[in-house]
Amino acid sequence: MRQVRAQEYAEFAAARTGQLYRSACLLTAGDTHLAEDLVQETLGRVYLRWGRVSRVGNPAAYAQTVLTRTFLAHKRLRRNTERATDAVPDTADELPDASLRLTLLQALGELPAKDRAVVVLRYWEDRSVQETADVLHASSAAVRTRSVRALARLRGLLGEDIGVYARP
Amino acid sequence: MPVDQHSDPFDASQTDPFEDRLSAALHQAGGTFDTNRAALAAAGAARGRRLRLQRRAAVLGGAASVALAAVGGALLVPWGGSAPPSRATAVGAAPKPSASPSAPADPVSAQQMIETLKKLMPKGTFSQEAGRGTEQDSSRQIAAPYASVVFDDGKGPGAVSLSVSRVQPGTQEAQEASRCPDKVFVPYDACTTKRLDDGSVITVLQGYEYPDRRVDTKLWRAELLTPKGEQVSVMEWNAAGEKDSPISRPEPPLDPEQLTRLASAQEWRTVAAAVPEPPRETPNPGSQTPKLDVHARATLLQLLPEGLDVVGKSSGDDSGFAYAVVDDGKGKSLVQVNVQPNMLDVAGELFGSGSETLSDGTRVAVHQGPGEKSAAGSVMWTVDTMRPDGRRVVISAFNSGTQRDAATRPTPALTIAQLREMALSTHWFRAQGTN
Repeated sequence: MRQVRAQEYAEFAAARTGQLYRSACLLTAGDTHLAEDLVQETLGRVYLRWGRVSRVGNPAAYAQTVLTRTFLAHKRLRRNTERATDAVPDTADELPDASLRLTLLQALGELPAKDRAVVVLRYWEDRSVQETADVLHASSAAVRTRSVRALARLRGLLGEDIGVYARP
Repeated sequence: MPVDQHSDPFDASQTDPFEDRLSAALHQAGGTFDTNRAALAAAGAARGRRLRLQRRAAVLGGAASVALAAVGGALLVPWGGSAPPSRATAVGAAPKPSASPSAPADPVSAQQMIETLKKLMPKGTFSQEAGRGTEQDSSRQIAAPYASVVFDDGKGPGAVSLSVSRVQPGTQEAQEASRCPDKVFVPYDACTTKRLDDGSVITVLQGYEYPDRRVDTKLWRAELLTPKGEQVSVMEWNAAGEKDSPISRPEPPLDPEQLTRLASAQEWRTVAAAVPEPPRETPNPGSQTPKLDVHARATLLQLLPEGLDVVGKSSGDDSGFAYAVVDDGKGKSLVQVNVQPNMLDVAGELFGSGSETLSDGTRVAVHQGPGEKSAAGSVMWTVDTMRPDGRRVVISAFNSGTQRDAATRPTPALTIAQLREMALSTHWFRAQGTN
């Protein structure tokens, strides 16, 4: 990688790593170790294609797409082997909104991986249905179906008034 | 393009408070995660350098670098069969490179997509043409071609949008695409599914843009799925745009017969041939294998009190979640249940003051409140229970047949006592033989 590009990449990584990591934590329903692995893999892939990515695309969106797909590829290999509760860090209890986080991660952990990806892309990344469909290699109709189902499920798990868990 | 952020039917619910709360909760929860970013960024760059070396080795090397070639292939078409993240065991466990797509046919341009759509439509005028071809770019590794127009047959404009994609046959996604959705989630006037001569399945759904029908914009859809997993989706509206656009005609421009012909036209199969195959995924009846042997739907139906007609139920492919719509003769009532293991860590939040602990240690909380979904007068009763080992059963009942519709009766069809008895049943976990 030439010097200028290397510098650009370093700036990109410094600016985006935190956000990628937070996304990964939601995708993995709180498995922070897996989240770090996913971010590492994602950054590695972005690094590899940096020349093209930085010239033509939106590197931040590209990285998010790579992250989501890396997560789904991982889940295909290792179904049902992770549990959100195994992974919630010890520090959770010290945070004021720990209970909200715990409850939300639990609920996310109940969703099938692709449904979870839809929720994270739509409501955390604020992606449109079509963009979400592109990331997931799905039709927009399938994303709509997943979205409705995931929302119904979350509503059942969290209750209509999600915030109530934030005020123990 | 017609299918964008602010034109999503379920997002129409910009006004759905639950979605706003979910988004806020995600941001609040997500924002609390932090790590050593510099170290992680450095590790990512190191991974990238290693991948690059591997790719060079694959290009330069001969037979000796077969294993690495799989990695190289994955990089060219990242989602053809991606390498697992580092922690995911050894290279030998990586998905088979067979997932890499066969060479796609000639690319189709955006203009060709639009022209093809116009050619296949009845006589009329076209405006607001938009489209995308099968070309790939750096931010989209896979083709997602579509075309959309506003069509006017002389009786008023209507938006029409068509997209082509591919799914793995036999997967849950394919199954969902080829059957009518559950009316509890999506309201519609009519939905038919039929098999065509070539083995394709087509579903035509005549529904609405807004699930709560606060504006009666109609959205009609056709979903065609071929045995090879080629998927053609057509959507049309009785308005020139799907949202905030006045209704311009009584019904969308194409009738179900025309929708079927448009979706099944051979031209779209040619487009589909230019779309790379999606990553291979094993058909997944067991993908959400229960952590406990739970059959929520069967148990729910079994435990419902006598004297209730079951007029609707979930499709039954989800072990820990189920619902039934029941009617005691006084109106429909939705009952839904979630069964979850290992919830002890949130017991404190779920069972606060006002909850009860039974002699065997099981905790019980009862909530009776208004459902906050759009409908006025809606009521949601919930009995939440947790066994001492953390197994949670939470049942809710509503005074309407969905969470969305206006109340059909003053209270749910089941009493709190009945919900409580159901939630505390040993049958939810019968296979475990405990409790």
